[in-house]
Amino acid sequence: MVILSGHQLQHIAVIGLLALRNLRRHLRRTLLTALAMIVGGALLMFSLSLGDGTHESWIDSGVRMGAGHITIENPEFQASRKIDDRVSADTRATVENALREPGVADQVVARSAKIVVQGLASSAAGARPVQVMGVEPLAEAEFSTLDEQVVEGRYLEPGDGLAAYVGVELVEALDLRLGSRLVVTAQDANNEIAGQLVRVVGVFRSGVPSIDQALVHVPLETVGAWLGSGQDVTNVGVLVAQSRDVPRLTSQLRMSLSGLIESGAIRVMGWREAMPELSAAVAIDDFGNYLIYGILFVIIGFGIVNTVLMSVLHRHREFGLLQALGLTPRQTGTLVLVEGLILTAFSAVAGIGLGVFVTWYFWGDGLDFSSMMSSEMTFSGVVIDPVIIPLFRVARVGQALLFILMVGGVASLYPAIRASTIDVTEAMKFDR
Amino acid sequence: MTKSPTPAVRTEAVWKTFHQVAEEVHAVRDVSLVIGRGEFTALAGPSGSGKTTLLNLIGGLTRSTRGRVFVDGQDLTKMSNRELAQLRLAKIGFVFQAYNLLPVLTAMENAEFPMLLQGIPVEDRRQRVRELFEKTGLTGLEERRPGKLSGGQQQRVAVIRAVAGEPALVLADEPTANLDSAASDALLDVMHELNQELGVTFVFATHDLRVMERSRRLVRMVDGAIDSDEVRA
Repeated sequence: MVILSGHQLQHIAVIGLLALRNLRRHLRRTLLTALAMIVGGALLMFSLSLGDGTHESWIDSGVRMGAGHITIENPEFQASRKIDDRVSADTRATVENALREPGVADQVVARSAKIVVQGLASSAAGARPVQVMGVEPLAEAEFSTLDEQVVEGRYLEPGDGLAAYVGVELVEALDLRLGSRLVVTAQDANNEIAGQLVRVVGVFRSGVPSIDQALVHVPLETVGAWLGSGQDVTNVGVLVAQSRDVPRLTSQLRMSLSGLIESGAIRVMGWREAMPELSAAVAIDDFGNYLIYGILFVIIGFGIVNTVLMSVLHRHREFGLLQALGLTPRQTGTLVLVEGLILTAFSAVAGIGLGVFVTWYFWGDGLDFSSMMSSEMTFSGVVIDPVIIPLFRVARVGQALLFILMVGGVASLYPAIRASTIDVTEAMKFDR
Repeated sequence: MTKSPTPAVRTEAVWKTFHQVAEEVHAVRDVSLVIGRGEFTALAGPSGSGKTTLLNLIGGLTRSTRGRVFVDGQDLTKMSNRELAQLRLAKIGFVFQAYNLLPVLTAMENAEFPMLLQGIPVEDRRQRVRELFEKTGLTGLEERRPGKLSGGQQQRVAVIRAVAGEPALVLADEPTANLDSAASDALLDVMHELNQELGVTFVFATHDLRVMERSRRLVRMVDGAIDSDEVRA
């Protein structure tokens, strides 16, 4: 720990006083540079919030259509997608108990245990490959947004038996309508091909072609009876309030379910692991954003270099005088650095404050980009919402502040070195 | 200030050579000089005679090419830049031709600046500066910025700044060059009084006859070397 003596503190106070007075003396120059940094800081803060809001929207859409923020499944299931690699009813009960534990339960927004198999759907008009998802209607309605995307009929309800909720493109391909019968065929728990007759009770349009063409929701009980899997499931999906909590909750669940994990019965995956394409898309988008912030702040950094360096060049004589009066070369450099940092810190706080205000302004209704999107945009099973709601994170304030201070510090370093290495007698010779 | 056997300044065969494009210029040549405590000494000579360079060497603002410089017994030639800065802060006061007050500070803040760096408590330094302001006729101007002071007033603030920290030595480079005769006389009165009352050692670089006349020792320099060294009654 560095302990400063009273003398050193006095020097720091003197340097701070001189720095503040010098910034005030050239008020117009100071304010112009500050303005550039305030606008930059506000842009940075708002675009970070907008980026986070965009990603949260992608992640939310992706995990609701997929396996959740956290998925608990058989370790082999992700690769095989076979009913053989499922989670037994007993194991499922243990997992669901773990999700009710304190510290986990309050973070869980929804959970849905389901069985997912690849199969074939056929009607009098033909046959199509499909993904049959056996779900508990109430739990799945909480978990997914698919129940809200109904275009005809209704979503599955408790007590439904031979009911199916079908994508709009599959309905067209198999020439189905509400009440139509279709047969779904898949490999059962005994490795036999088994068929099941169901009736269409509802039709949905998700906007993701691969889902609208191939997804069929059927009650879990019906699937258990049809495939002989009983209460077994292929995964338990969990939704949490904010995606940033996923790593911590995943670790917590891994600890409480360590026995089942070690025995090879299950594995616990965060969405990044379960949905690598979505994770990559977020990372690529982040990289693009950081690159733009980098370029923006290199430009602003040059502005700071220019301001501070101009100030140094105009004050050669003053720095010579300060050293003649007893300031060490390092203290002279520190004075310049402190001037740059005070300017940066003031601008960063004001800029970030402005950015937070703009974020707050758009927080309720979001920014509507629908006029810039010709039709529904999707990728990796994610529907891109044209309305982006910026997401405010306190950690981003710290990151933005640190980033701007770092840019200010680096930009002030060269002028500081220039000031600390002046020749005192030469500096005192000329009136600049 | 009590007398001590250690002189305020001692130079031993000091040279300062500047390397220019085609030749070497010896600004100071083989200067050996001892200035005792409490002296009021003028280094005189025409422009280019080396008096300012010698003053800079004594003040540790520039380094000698050869020879040694001692201030209050400390060898400047062996010191780092940081140590030189600390020595200047503790033992040397400067008065420059162009006043050189810090424009962002008030007259009071300028005058107390070295004491601020020395860590002298605020009450002590304010009291000392107020006394000196009174002595030099600057009372009432404490809160003025340098831009709102006349040349003579600025130079008096600079003198107070140089002496307020009770240094062993005050080096004044052409302190009267930018002042009219009345202001010059007033300033010399102040410095003379401070020399007499506080025992502060003053060394001037000057070609002002008034300064030469009022100094008790006159060292004349020609072409970087000492031409004559005269002590007056």
